[in-house]
Amino acid sequence: MEQVGLAAATSEVSLWALFMQAGWVVKLVMIGLLGASIWTWAIVIDKYVNFGRMRRQFDQFEQVFWSGQSLEELYRALSEKQNVGLAAIFVAAMREWKKSFERGARSPIGLQMRIDRAMDVTMARESETYEARLGSLATIGSAGPFIGLFGTVVGIMTSFQAIAGSKSTNLAVVAPGIAEALLATAIGLVAAIPAVIAYNKFTADAGKLSARMEGFADEFSAILSRQIDEKLQPRQAAQ
Amino acid sequence: MRGSLGTSLVFHILVLAWAMVTLGAPEPLNVADTEAIPVEMVSVEELTQLQQGDKTAKPNDKPSTKPTENKKVIDKAENAGEKDIDLKTPPTPSKKPPTETAAAPKPVERPTPTPTPEQNEVKEVAPEETAPKPQEMAALPPKPEPTPPKPTPTPPKPEPTPPKPEAAKPTPAPVQSENQSETGELPQTPPVPAQRPQPPKPEPPKEEAKPVEKPAEKPPEKKPDTPKPTETAKADAKATESAKPTDKKDGKKQETAKSASSQKSDFNADQISALLNKQEASGGGAKRSTSPASTGSTKPSSASKLSLSEMDALRGQIQNNWSTIAGIEGLQGMVIRVKIKLDQSGAIVGEPEVTSTGGSDTARRTMEASARRAVLRSSPFKNLPADKYDAWSDVVVNFDPSELGL
Repeated sequence: MEQVGLAAATSEVSLWALFMQAGWVVKLVMIGLLGASIWTWAIVIDKYVNFGRMRRQFDQFEQVFWSGQSLEELYRALSEKQNVGLAAIFVAAMREWKKSFERGARSPIGLQMRIDRAMDVTMARESETYEARLGSLATIGSAGPFIGLFGTVVGIMTSFQAIAGSKSTNLAVVAPGIAEALLATAIGLVAAIPAVIAYNKFTADAGKLSARMEGFADEFSAILSRQIDEKLQPRQAAQ
Repeated sequence: MRGSLGTSLVFHILVLAWAMVTLGAPEPLNVADTEAIPVEMVSVEELTQLQQGDKTAKPNDKPSTKPTENKKVIDKAENAGEKDIDLKTPPTPSKKPPTETAAAPKPVERPTPTPTPEQNEVKEVAPEETAPKPQEMAALPPKPEPTPPKPTPTPPKPEPTPPKPEAAKPTPAPVQSENQSETGELPQTPPVPAQRPQPPKPEPPKEEAKPVEKPAEKPPEKKPDTPKPTETAKADAKATESAKPTDKKDGKKQETAKSASSQKSDFNADQISALLNKQEASGGGAKRSTSPASTGSTKPSSASKLSLSEMDALRGQIQNNWSTIAGIEGLQGMVIRVKIKLDQSGAIVGEPEVTSTGGSDTARRTMEASARRAVLRSSPFKNLPADKYDAWSDVVVNFDPSELGL
């Protein structure tokens, strides 16, 4: 008699059974949290891959840039392609330089400002792509436990209502309901913990990439300003 | 992004599938079968309170008075006993001897009725009782003699037995006679017959019958016949009963004479004493008991105790009459203890006993005096539950002067 009861009780504790016997609110919470977890891991994978590739491209470009190759040639080689990161900043700055010189810019200060502005805009666009979806990671990380807790509270509420209905406080009656309710919190934590870790890591990575871009932009701006001075000097002398 | 989303999805499905397989059925928690321990909450008060029982009996789990035979249940009876009315007098052991003696005399009495049986059917009931006795007591030899009376009484048996309230007696009689033969309590028996309460019962029939019989003069003839078998039988059966036969002979003759006389006149001193004895035999209360006697207190202990509110009411009455004395110092830690005895009306009996501890000597003296005045002034106490008189007949009230607002 008792063994049968225990066996029945244990068979109802498997994950799927727990999920199936939960109320619709708890089910909704669980499904939502599962989706959040999938989304988190999708972002994590995406960011990891992207950031790795980005870092590699940065390294490659810096290598090429400081290799002593002519900037004009480099620009010609890159302008045809879809550029990201440092290359995009370089191409944006070079494009502005070219346009200004083709039309015969008069003020070197205005040219410098325009180039800087162009680089800033590109940099902002680039860092925006780096930080894209990190916000949803933060949201999942902070809200996940609460959503799970909500599911747990609802589950335990219904579980206690069931106790009140069955008028039995036997642990075998209470346990499945509480286990099912706690499953919601578990899923919430499973989704939230990686989200928080990934958010912290990728925010730091994005910060590093942005700093690198800024450093490159400053250096390139200095180079261009020197170039402007060199190019404008003969003209002023000629006048 | 799409690729990573797909990867994530696949990863989750894999993890879930793995979880389903491994976490599917956790090991059932096997709880060893342990016997539940019954726990009973018993207050110290309950435990220490003496419970009704028999002081002389051996201790048992539960105190209980001697088992009673009276099945009639009387409500709210507190005193153990066989009576229908609850009396406070405890059943005294002195009652037992009369019952024993009463049992012994029976054989003696029956011989007296025996003369009449043959003449009257009503009286034949007695012969029946006497007839079996000789058989039991005398064993084989006397048999032939007693047997003759037997056939005559047997036919009337059904008729007399039902109407008579003594129906129970015939049966106990043989047992008692057996007991006598076995135990040999004979010396006790001889004095009793005269005083025995039982004679009155058989008398009424005798009175009716004898007036008719005596003129016929048959009884004297038959008397010697009937007593003889019994005497001879007894003599044969026991040599120790030497006292008995003599007493019996005398007693029987006397009794027969007395019974004859007493049947005519109600002034017989024996009969009066018998009646008195019967009243003495009564005693005890009406509380029934079925369990065997075990140690306990003979006095029924009532669990009554003044409730806090009743105690406060009593205390309040004293406090109301407490004339405050302003500006007394040294009341710190003083406790005044008033012990009073009250009668049923709530009036104080004797002098209240006031003691106090703590505080300075002068303050204590002052407070004791004022407490005594307050207590005396508040007598008689009112609003005390009459049914709890046991609880407040002797009261001790503690006062903390700092709480009195002095």
